[in-house]
Amino acid sequence: MSNPAPITARRAEPLLAGAGSRPGLAPEEVALPESAFAVQGPWRVVVLNDPVNSMGYVVLVFRKVFGFAEPRARRHMLEVHEQGRSVVWSGLREQAELYAFALQQWHLTAILETDEAH
Amino acid sequence: MKRIEVKLSLPVVAPLLDLMKDSSDVLEAQIAAPITLDDIDADFREDWRAELLAGQHEELHALMGLFNSDFFINGVVAFDEENAEIIVRACSALRLRLRRHDLHVLEDEQLESGGVDIERLPAGLQKPFMCYVFLGTIQELIIQHLDGAILRGPTGEAGPVEDDDGSADDFDLDKD
Repeated sequence: MSNPAPITARRAEPLLAGAGSRPGLAPEEVALPESAFAVQGPWRVVVLNDPVNSMGYVVLVFRKVFGFAEPRARRHMLEVHEQGRSVVWSGLREQAELYAFALQQWHLTAILETDEAH
Repeated sequence: MKRIEVKLSLPVVAPLLDLMKDSSDVLEAQIAAPITLDDIDADFREDWRAELLAGQHEELHALMGLFNSDFFINGVVAFDEENAEIIVRACSALRLRLRRHDLHVLEDEQLESGGVDIERLPAGLQKPFMCYVFLGTIQELIIQHLDGAILRGPTGEAGPVEDDDGSADDFDLDKD
């Protein structure tokens, strides 16, 4: 997945209706230096498999949270189901946190990872 | 507004409501999904957790509110564009709780495949499993018929537009 905005990152971009936003952050545009991405490193939003949420539910959540088309949402769902995890987004930390929060609001097991952890 | 009404079997569903309520009460203070917040910026961790719990509380309140006095008269619950998302999420939270607390002895494969013969389960597992299946069925119905509404959101701000003829689709889950 590509990073949508390596230079200008949206903070607290509304991800989805009714999903709330990252606590303590008001929507705003923040200009980042060009080196910000390299400094912060790519953060990955990873969804882990769980035996409870149905395939249809997970596809719906991916479509809702990320705006994925159904085939793409289904590919990620199958990756979660068959491989136990899927990287659904990567980029700047603050946006990654927003996505992880939104996924957790839908009760998916979403975690954040960075290269520094490996 | 698209709306679906589901006729439920009172003798089947009513005994499940106590368990749903008990599980819902526990989730007042516990996030349903097995997540850790270790990766979250420490400054935000408590707010993050509090917002997740607040959202979960709202969802479960909406779900349990479906089973009000009217439900015990006519056995009908209704889903529409305004409550579809919150109810689907509430069902997920309760199913996660049931799995972790009541159904943990079952294998993941059993739950994922649905290959469980309820009559062969120990007596203490039968009601939690019925509850788990019931909530999953509600989710499936909503996703099948109101996914467009969920994707659009309650204010219709995004996603595909679904036909809206103002009519209600009726379903009967009455097993009697």
